[in-house]
Amino acid sequence: MYLNTKLRLTAVAFALATCAMPAYADFWSDAGAKYTGVTLHGVTESSPPSMYIKEVLAPQFEKATGIKVEIETTSWDQMYDKAIKDMEAGTGLYDMVYIEQDIIYAYLQRKFLTNITQSLKDHPELKAPTYDDANFTTFANYFKEANGDLMGVPMEAFIKLYLYRKDLFSDPAIMAAFKAKTGHDLAPATTHEQYTEIADFFTQWGKDKGMDLWGTTAQAHTGHAASWYEFFESVAPTFGVYNWGIDAANNYAATVEHGGQMNSDKAKAALKYWLHLRDIAPPESAQSTWTEVATTFAAGRAAQGLVYGENAAWIEADTTKSKVVGKVGFALPPLSDGVMADAESGKGYIGYYDGGAFGLPVSSKNQEAALLFLEYIGQNEVQADWAVAAPRITNTATYDDPKVIAMDATLGGYYTMLKDQGKLFAGAPPYPFHAQVREATAPIFYQILLGEVDPDTGLDQMAAKAEEEMTNLGYRQ
Amino acid sequence: MRSNKTGWLMLAPTIAILGTFGIMPFFYVLYVAFHRWNPFAANPDMVYNGAKNFRRLVFDPEFLMSVGLTLKFALFAVGSEVVVGYLLAQMLMKDFPGKAIFRTIHTLPLIVAPIVVGSVWRLMTTPSIGIIPHFLHNWFGYDMNIGRDANVAFALTVIMDLWHWTPLVTLTLLAALLALPKDPFEQAQIDGANRWQIFWHITLPMIRPAILATVFIRLMDALRTVDEVWMLTGGGPGAATRYLGLHIWKTVFPKTDYGYGSAISVIVLYMTLVMCWILYVALVAPRQKKAVEQ
Repeated sequence: MYLNTKLRLTAVAFALATCAMPAYADFWSDAGAKYTGVTLHGVTESSPPSMYIKEVLAPQFEKATGIKVEIETTSWDQMYDKAIKDMEAGTGLYDMVYIEQDIIYAYLQRKFLTNITQSLKDHPELKAPTYDDANFTTFANYFKEANGDLMGVPMEAFIKLYLYRKDLFSDPAIMAAFKAKTGHDLAPATTHEQYTEIADFFTQWGKDKGMDLWGTTAQAHTGHAASWYEFFESVAPTFGVYNWGIDAANNYAATVEHGGQMNSDKAKAALKYWLHLRDIAPPESAQSTWTEVATTFAAGRAAQGLVYGENAAWIEADTTKSKVVGKVGFALPPLSDGVMADAESGKGYIGYYDGGAFGLPVSSKNQEAALLFLEYIGQNEVQADWAVAAPRITNTATYDDPKVIAMDATLGGYYTMLKDQGKLFAGAPPYPFHAQVREATAPIFYQILLGEVDPDTGLDQMAAKAEEEMTNLGYRQ
Repeated sequence: MRSNKTGWLMLAPTIAILGTFGIMPFFYVLYVAFHRWNPFAANPDMVYNGAKNFRRLVFDPEFLMSVGLTLKFALFAVGSEVVVGYLLAQMLMKDFPGKAIFRTIHTLPLIVAPIVVGSVWRLMTTPSIGIIPHFLHNWFGYDMNIGRDANVAFALTVIMDLWHWTPLVTLTLLAALLALPKDPFEQAQIDGANRWQIFWHITLPMIRPAILATVFIRLMDALRTVDEVWMLTGGGPGAATRYLGLHIWKTVFPKTDYGYGSAISVIVLYMTLVMCWILYVALVAPRQKKAVEQ
């Protein structure tokens, strides 16, 4: 009898547990049932993390919720073009848009985006038990309002690193030749002088040996903003010129005359340093954006270079795309004196912390269904496989996942560097006029690249042009 | 009266479509051109500013340079397409082995989207990996770098346009040549005219309408070229290939200067109309006047 009662109780408990479990595990199908027949449309840049959303997460979400998702992956320029036109006109074509960290301030100013934190408070029935704003790394702060509300779900984050060829740097013949020529041991550079010396050496080495090898990469396209970005976001900060040399607290001053840094001695030294590197980089550098820089490095054509982290993993690990698998070392960019101290104290930074989020336009006609999708891609549960497939980490817990730890070992500690040193890097400055000032000054920058204007005069002109543009836009008084 | 009504009824869908997608946007662009409007400015609203945008472009060196470059591009591209297209049309008037295959292959570029043309040419011309720099280096020791040499970049945009659009000119002129009556040519030969005289005094005047129509179409296309050049050079190196279409695109989209971009668009449309009108007046009107007088 006693046994019988015990068995009955056990059976009842089991039945209750099995009834309750599907209710929890099936949140997505329950929440999605209301939106059957809805098709969500998203637009994003064609990058490895976005491709993972398109090819893996969107189909998974469809299966879990019954809500169809179509992700359009396109070029960086076209992505902005399409997203901004849609949100500006309020057509509601897109339910999710990629927000690169540097454009968020413009989008916030135009009130293009839905407040995700607030929306989930307003619709508790849509709040997934596995989603929490607190799961994200501090990179999510770039996508928050002043009150801490999240305006986009982080989907990629990486730093622009100094990549070097371990095999070349440890080749006895090369090491001996370098020592004989320079008097120093060959090691990854920590200063600009060292970097230049190594770059000069390898370019000459490649020439002497008849190899397709150059000393450095250079993202120096003469008609694309990529070159402008490489200088202002990756090179100038390593000389102590932060936030493009514009002082937001000082009436957006750009010229030295008004208190800015865009045409300061440091900026001019940085530009001359970088132009020299461009001159000894592979010939395709004059047409290279971030993509071509990665392919140049992956083709084994450069001994070292600054490469966006989104490409670092496939360069080091994907044998189908890279000729230098297992040969890549990762280090922090070379710096001028005082820059590391600035970065550690929060006064400056040593390079670019890039990344983006998926946002929900206020113009979307499927706000609630899109909110579910954003929660889906923000869960800890989907992050590890995503980080392995594409080198990005946006959730704190992802660092501790065994798959990611294994991948970190394969990548020579890239994720550890992202975790530990990420704080030394920074995203784009919080300017709502980001693209406008870039486009106003870029033509002069291209003239500098072509040698039509000397670097010092060019930077003077750019600083003046930046101030003129900010005045026209009404930001500078 | 009834037939008049039926006519308007039949025309109504066309008028509605033209009005919605052609005329209304034009008037909207014209309206925006008289405003200062940048959605990312401190004041993102549209503010009426009279003719300031038009005044600004008269003194804008970037715009004026873009106009000059575009005219130069149009002159070289359209001029060479007409010459090469005519020569190919003449060649196709004759029979030769493989003519059908050649004509098919020659026409293929026409069905390729401009953005694809730009991508293919970019791959072919990128230093280190492109087939063109490779052979130029191997055969002539010349290191072509489209990213650093403005003249090379300009020439390549013209050659790319020539490759893409010459078949259109060839087909148009071939159709015109095939439609010519034989009598005048036979009479000229009997009178002892040489090939140049026949071309200058008979062929050219008789195919002039076809040439003009082709030039009009190609000129308008060349003045608004964007996608091919954007893909190949991005407007660079520097601003060497920043033709008007690209200049407008860069002003309106990345820079989001809608008001000024609209003013440039309106002026470019006006310029295109004026150029076509000048061409018409210079080449067609005198002949019509002469014909009336005779």
